[in-house]
Amino acid sequence: MTSLEACVRESKARISAAASGERFASAFTPTAAFVILVACAIPILTLEARAQLQSTVGTQSVLQSLIKWFPLILFGPPREFGGFALNIAVSFLAMALGTAVGIVLGLGQISIHRPLRNLAWALTQFFRNAPWLVLLFFVMLLTPFQIRLFGFSIPLPGWLKASVGLSLPIMANMSEIVRGAVNSIPTAQWESAESLAFTRLQTLWRIILPQCVRRMIPPWMNWYAILTMATPLISIVGVNDAMTLTQDALSAEQRTDLLMPMYSLLLALFFLYCYPIARWTLWLERKYAVKI
Amino acid sequence: MIASIAARLVGVVLALGAMIGAAQADQLADIKAKGVLVVGTKADYPPFGFRDASGGVIGIEPDLGAEIAKRLGVKLELVPVVSSNRMQFLQQGKIDLMIATMSDTPDRRKVVGFIEPLYYASGVAILANKKANIKTAADLKGKPVCAIQGAFYNNDLQSKYTGQDLIAFKAVAEAQQALLDGRCVGFVYDDAVLFWQKNSDEKRWAEFECLQLNEWPIVPWGIAVKLEERDGAWGKLVSETVTDWLKSGKLLEIEKKWVGSNSKWLVDASAKAKQ
Repeated sequence: MTSLEACVRESKARISAAASGERFASAFTPTAAFVILVACAIPILTLEARAQLQSTVGTQSVLQSLIKWFPLILFGPPREFGGFALNIAVSFLAMALGTAVGIVLGLGQISIHRPLRNLAWALTQFFRNAPWLVLLFFVMLLTPFQIRLFGFSIPLPGWLKASVGLSLPIMANMSEIVRGAVNSIPTAQWESAESLAFTRLQTLWRIILPQCVRRMIPPWMNWYAILTMATPLISIVGVNDAMTLTQDALSAEQRTDLLMPMYSLLLALFFLYCYPIARWTLWLERKYAVKI
Repeated sequence: MIASIAARLVGVVLALGAMIGAAQADQLADIKAKGVLVVGTKADYPPFGFRDASGGVIGIEPDLGAEIAKRLGVKLELVPVVSSNRMQFLQQGKIDLMIATMSDTPDRRKVVGFIEPLYYASGVAILANKKANIKTAADLKGKPVCAIQGAFYNNDLQSKYTGQDLIAFKAVAEAQQALLDGRCVGFVYDDAVLFWQKNSDEKRWAEFECLQLNEWPIVPWGIAVKLEERDGAWGKLVSETVTDWLKSGKLLEIEKKWVGSNSKWLVDASAKAKQ
């Protein structure tokens, strides 16, 4: 039960820290504390109950096995990039790439040049409505494992290709966020800017976009959380992420009683990472809400 | 001035490129130049290739890879592969050698270069409750038997022996649990895996015995290189190495180390190689 206590203690510490920080004061309600507690307790309760059943067989207890495999699932094999850390790295990289290209594509969608606008629109619609896993397979299989540039072989590791694959749907959704945010600014502002002799570029850059940033942040963070939760998909294309390593651990152990605790551990990891982001997004949404 | 430096740089880059290009033509020389042998093995199929808790891949196949690396005097790098990407990795050059439980089929021979002689073979075995007193597949008639979904012998097993009493599971762990719970008299699966399990956890399987079922064919496995390297220097070296392993009993030794016992196919193949 010690780990359960540790979990409770940690949640309490988190809540009190958040309360004193004031920023999270509204975000971390007692309900939130309860959800975190449940997320911590599920894997531990199942494994405690199972451990008692298992003790007669004489193999390692479930808790011992979990502790044994946890560092590997979290950080990957030594001298290699993997595990949950890789999931996070891939989510950062895919988000950065997707955001950068998505902004360009979004501005393309509001361009005054019709062909450009149509092209940006078509690309956005295509990648917004394609299944993530199919896009991932496409990028993985289409690109070689290394490229030759002036005779030099530059390796393209699996995680890099996976990041590019996952950045495509993010790009398309970012494009829609940009288009939506620009369109949400009252058209009167464009007209006033024009009457003050601002060019279109000046209006966009100095008047419209600065107002858009605040509106775009909550949906952008929402997509980040969705992307992070989608990163276990990369295990299917042969990247050593937390999901692959969990499955490797399960096949090395070959024990049914480990299935639920191992996957629960993985769930708890993702939950503990994504839930605070979701709360923070909610808080930002309230803060930036347009008050009429 | 700047233009001439740039021109020189381009020249150097092109020369380097030519050197790398030339080295690539001979994979053996390339491996020696790199100082690293990259071998693709399974990481989810004990005892052939699986992870230990420290993260390394261990088992029969990593050991074989290490033997070849030792022979070449280079370092070993293991890349985990799965059945769906192993041939592609070899073709792309991501791995130099594939030792990944791949059974030998005519279709696969068109895609990758199988190394002769073949290094291993898998058959079918049963991990059975001692009380059931099973000696051959015929003894399974009318008894509940556990198996894994999609195994090639399931159909045969059901139509000839067990009938309705075949219980097929998705994963090995589930089938094992059913066996331990007494829901079936035996678990039919790949021989090496069953012998490994029985030998690695004697206490858990004290009430059970493992025996080969000779009713089904033995499927040989091959080590593979790129198709165009099969008859080149690299393919020849691997082929000689496997022959030496069979002659010297190295394969038997490694099998014994991981599985705990030797399979009939490997004993026979080793004896044949010695003649």
